[in-house]
Amino acid sequence: VPDVDVFGALANPVRRQVLEALRDGPLAAGELAGRFELSRPAVSEHLAVLRHAGLITEEPRGRHRYYHLAADPLAEVYDWLHPFERYWRSRLGALRDFAESADFAPEKAGSAPEKGAPAPEKAALAPEKSEEEPL
Amino acid sequence: VSSIECDQFIARPPSVVWRALTEPDLLASWWARSDIKPVVGHRFTLDMGEWGVQPCEVLEVEPEKLLKYTFAEGALDTTITWRLEPEGQGTRLFLIHDGFEPDSMPLRRMGGGWPKLLAHLARTLSADRG
Repeated sequence: VPDVDVFGALANPVRRQVLEALRDGPLAAGELAGRFELSRPAVSEHLAVLRHAGLITEEPRGRHRYYHLAADPLAEVYDWLHPFERYWRSRLGALRDFAESADFAPEKAGSAPEKGAPAPEKAALAPEKSEEEPL
Repeated sequence: VSSIECDQFIARPPSVVWRALTEPDLLASWWARSDIKPVVGHRFTLDMGEWGVQPCEVLEVEPEKLLKYTFAEGALDTTITWRLEPEGQGTRLFLIHDGFEPDSMPLRRMGGGWPKLLAHLARTLSADRG
């Protein structure tokens, strides 16, 4: 399931409204265009994004195409805390790596081998190296 | 689900972990730029990059034991609690991120910079996955 596209698709207010409109049943592209005072091409573009994300499905009926809400990706969005959990695990890992790194040896570390040596101040921070996530 | 709980062992005493949580220079090294201070009532921000600068306020402080603050006021309106427990020579760090509206539908609550945040997070995670 392309969850990336689910969140990206939901980021747009018009697309969220389209989804809400489809909760009551399938609608044709033309009906959707009428509801949102948008040009047909603009609506088609939004529908394409939603379809690509697997949020809606398309059904040809005669000369028209109807759009249905697809349930599965939305269920995934309902479970929207899951990404946060992954996020925090990665942050905690980053904190551990940082705190345990040799460069981070604050004076209060307790296990400082030589008391006479000047304790490295917090300026002695490890330069960011392995920050793969720009968060 | 309305809260997230994680924990992590860190082979450093609580005093060190506490500093990494409460000193801006250190916090920025593993998470976000901030003007955080472990003082109840202190208002600060966390610069979450693309996620936007999030307003926060310190709610509870027990030095080297507990730090609790509001997180992302106006966007997520949640609370973050850090709890430090000595474990052997190191620290067991517990994180609770709670206050998520349990039945809130993201379609409704996504406003402002939050959609971008989620999109970015999703991109990050999927890149993660390879």
